[in-house]
Amino acid sequence: MIVFWAVAGILSAAAAIVVMLRAAGAASRPEPVDPTPALYRRQLAEIGDLADRGLIAEAERRGAEAEAGRRLLTAAESPEIVWTAGGDRRGPLAAAAIAAPVLTLALYMTVGAPGLPDMPFAERLQQWTAANPVSLPPQALAAVLTSKIRQRPDDPEGYRFLALVDGAADDAPGAVRALKRAVKLAPERADLWELLGQALIGQAGGEVSEDAKAAFAETLKRDPTSAVARFHLARARIAEGDRAGGIAQWRTLLAELPGDDQRRVGLARAIAEAEGAPLQPSPALSGGQMTAIRGMVAGLAERLKVQPDDPAGWVRLVRAYAVLGEAAERDRALAQARARFAARADILRDLSAAAAAEPMK
Amino acid sequence: MIVELGAFALTLALAFAVAQLGLSIAARVRRSTVLAAAGEGAAVVSFAGVLLAFAALIHAFVTSDFSVANVAANSHTEKPLLYKVAGAWGSHEGSMLLWCLALTGYGAAAATLGRGLPRGLKAVMVATQGGLGVVFLAYTVFASNPLARLLDPPVEGRSLNPLLQDPALAIHPPFLYAGYVGMSVVFSLAVAALIEGRVDAAWARWVRPWALAAWSLLTVGITLGSFWAYYELGWGGWWFWDPVENASFMPWLVATALLHSAIVTEKRGALAGWSLFLALAAFSFSMLGAFLVRSGVLTSVHAFAVDPKRGVLLLIILGLMSGGGFSLFAWRAPRLAPGGVFAPISRESALVLNNILLAAATATVLLGTLYPLIREALSGEAISVGPPYFNMTFVPLMAALGIILPAGPLLAWKRGDLTGVGQRLWLAALIAVGAGVAAYALVSPRKAFASAGLAMGAWLICGAAAELVERTRALKVPAAESWRRLTGLPRGAWGMTLAHLGLGVFILGACYETGWKAEAAEALPIGGSVNVGAYHLVLEGVRDVDGPNYDAEQAVIRATKAGKAVCTGEPERRFYPTGGQTTSEVAICYRGASHLYIVLGERRAGPAGPVWLVRAYWNPWATLLFLGPVIMALGGALSLSDRRLRLGVGRRGAGQTP
Repeated sequence: MIVFWAVAGILSAAAAIVVMLRAAGAASRPEPVDPTPALYRRQLAEIGDLADRGLIAEAERRGAEAEAGRRLLTAAESPEIVWTAGGDRRGPLAAAAIAAPVLTLALYMTVGAPGLPDMPFAERLQQWTAANPVSLPPQALAAVLTSKIRQRPDDPEGYRFLALVDGAADDAPGAVRALKRAVKLAPERADLWELLGQALIGQAGGEVSEDAKAAFAETLKRDPTSAVARFHLARARIAEGDRAGGIAQWRTLLAELPGDDQRRVGLARAIAEAEGAPLQPSPALSGGQMTAIRGMVAGLAERLKVQPDDPAGWVRLVRAYAVLGEAAERDRALAQARARFAARADILRDLSAAAAAEPMK
Repeated sequence: MIVELGAFALTLALAFAVAQLGLSIAARVRRSTVLAAAGEGAAVVSFAGVLLAFAALIHAFVTSDFSVANVAANSHTEKPLLYKVAGAWGSHEGSMLLWCLALTGYGAAAATLGRGLPRGLKAVMVATQGGLGVVFLAYTVFASNPLARLLDPPVEGRSLNPLLQDPALAIHPPFLYAGYVGMSVVFSLAVAALIEGRVDAAWARWVRPWALAAWSLLTVGITLGSFWAYYELGWGGWWFWDPVENASFMPWLVATALLHSAIVTEKRGALAGWSLFLALAAFSFSMLGAFLVRSGVLTSVHAFAVDPKRGVLLLIILGLMSGGGFSLFAWRAPRLAPGGVFAPISRESALVLNNILLAAATATVLLGTLYPLIREALSGEAISVGPPYFNMTFVPLMAALGIILPAGPLLAWKRGDLTGVGQRLWLAALIAVGAGVAAYALVSPRKAFASAGLAMGAWLICGAAAELVERTRALKVPAAESWRRLTGLPRGAWGMTLAHLGLGVFILGACYETGWKAEAAEALPIGGSVNVGAYHLVLEGVRDVDGPNYDAEQAVIRATKAGKAVCTGEPERRFYPTGGQTTSEVAICYRGASHLYIVLGERRAGPAGPVWLVRAYWNPWATLLFLGPVIMALGGALSLSDRRLRLGVGRRGAGQTP
């Protein structure tokens, strides 16, 4: 802070000195004469020069010289307005030399943020790296992981972690990018291809895109039992119109899944929906599950209190309250987030969309 | 600390611009050289302050300091260094700072270099420049501060629009702004002349170097922008009559008119009022451009973020500054002394005609740009004024200008000899007509207008050559004598010839490219092919590319002509995850002056595997489109280096008659 004000003071003083020096230089110079006659004299000389080089005919030379001569005469005869270096000029000069720095200070105090240090990314990254990863928002964690990956660019695990963190930060394109690099480094790993397929679905807004299908096909080449890949490829088949084929694949998958696999419920439900069976109301969340969800939402709210600069976190919180049907909490979080990110139209849009989420039945 | 020192330096610049204005006015009132020098010193300080602020902003971009709101909104840690630096002027706030840097830079240059100016004229010019500095710096500091801070900086920035991440576009704004804002000196000199009541040959001489410098820089800036649009947007075109393009083109047209009218004022003392008017108009159009781009009234690839509040402020600035200038003009111009007389057939008349045509062309562009905006504001109905309007209005005016152009430099001052001019130009006319007829007969398909355009290009190029022949008396005097005359030609004369030649080159390119370009688009599988013009293109493969801040698909497309391999193009389709945007990187195969232009489009599912939409253009003589303006700008620079502009002697003696 002291250094800042010292440098600012030196800058202001230097500025005032430049102005004074320039004025002092003029005071010691002889009083100027009107340069116009000299200009016309040079014009005359130039006409002569061009004529001597054969670029103007003699008659033209005479005409041009006559006109330039008349101008010279007019200029020389016009009464000259005298400018002087004399008189007492210290008043206005001193006023300017003092007023300008004072004005600078006043202006700066209005628009500046004195004392606010620079925050270069490298320095902040160091702080995040030193901090406990649990306390970091996902974006900061992703930044730390990215820097670690730069040190070990050949480690597919680093990219896998980065993709997971990107996913948590709602950054599907980032996750896709990280996983593309991971599969390039370890193309033999079915789990990475599977994750890539899932991330691509996230990027395509839930649809099984061509790229996702390709990633799942790669998964199955390496692990033909991958339930995730088989599920989504069958889903793609249904979306493309082959309902019977897709459902048959799902049924095979269901038959192969062990009896205690949690995914069986969801898969059976998907098959029923695809077959057009009347929808069973989804089993109500048990009291324990509800408590766990509310606990997670409360945890998110707490974290945002400590680290409020996490737009994606705010969007998740607003959406969570909306889905839970807690309208008052939702509106409070929305108002806070809107105030914080008032200048960022994209975040405001996401917030509004999150607030409009349908409450869970 | 660096960011805050930059913010402090910016307010210092504003405060000393106020001092520059006050001291220079006091100097003029008291006729004091000491106060005038102090005002000039303040101009230098103001420039130094903006320079420091600009350096601080670039530092913040390079170090990805997201506590600066502007950096957070326009940069990203993964962005290549060049675009981090260019990000400093890629946003509304940063570009306003660049504008201020140019404005105060010109102010400081005018204050320190303008030693040959009469004291009164100079003091008022420095004061006006200071006034402009106050207004634009105040706008920047209070309404558009590029160094405003965020207390909770985001982890990552939102990155710069990927379309703007391009080398040509990184350097396009500095040139454009140097051109735009260079007109401010011309504006200030006009205001000074009106207040001092002197517009004479000497004034025109003082205006010319500034107008020339600004015009040359603007020419380069517009050309770079057009070249960027050509190869980055991937639409295969080079000028779209987009309102933002028009916004940069109008000051250029006015400055071109001013360069010509100032010659008449300088040589004959005539057209003084008109030259003044153009000097005021050139910077007014620059400010209009600044308003159009930033106000949000336009939707364009070039326009900055929509922000009506700032737009209103800029409109007020535009109204105050140019309104003030033109009011002064209306009040003082009638008292100006009339200049020399001239006959209807004379160099002066040709230049007047040039000015009428350029002014009319500017008016048509202005109408085509503003009419849709005004109509939308009044009736809410959005209409678009496109190329057909400009082809019907602007092109005929330019054609008329082109026809008279070669005659102008050959006419004598005061009273010209049309027969003599005809004798000197008959060969050029013959070649031009021959070129047009040959193009019509030989180039397929037959196109009358494009052939006429080629004739026009040839007419301008041959006209420029005829002018050189006339000056050197080639074939009329011994070769040694011609050589002596050629080497003795002043640089200003060379500059003019080059500029006219450059226009001819541009017209050749524009007409040939527009008339005979070929286009093809097809969805190709690997191994698929498409024909464009005489070329056969085969999509040999598509690979993934992992860029610094983007992922891309890069196609390998082999081009053959009559079975012979010609080149391999590698166009890309890039995806920038940060903003979720997709851009095209065009591949251009240069074939002489012509371009084979290949764009890779989106990938789709085909019946047997994926297919890619490939668009290809055959753009004949497209290089001339960009080479022409570069030659014109070089002509401007050459004229600027003419020692007479520094010493202040008549531009050209040749052709002067009593």
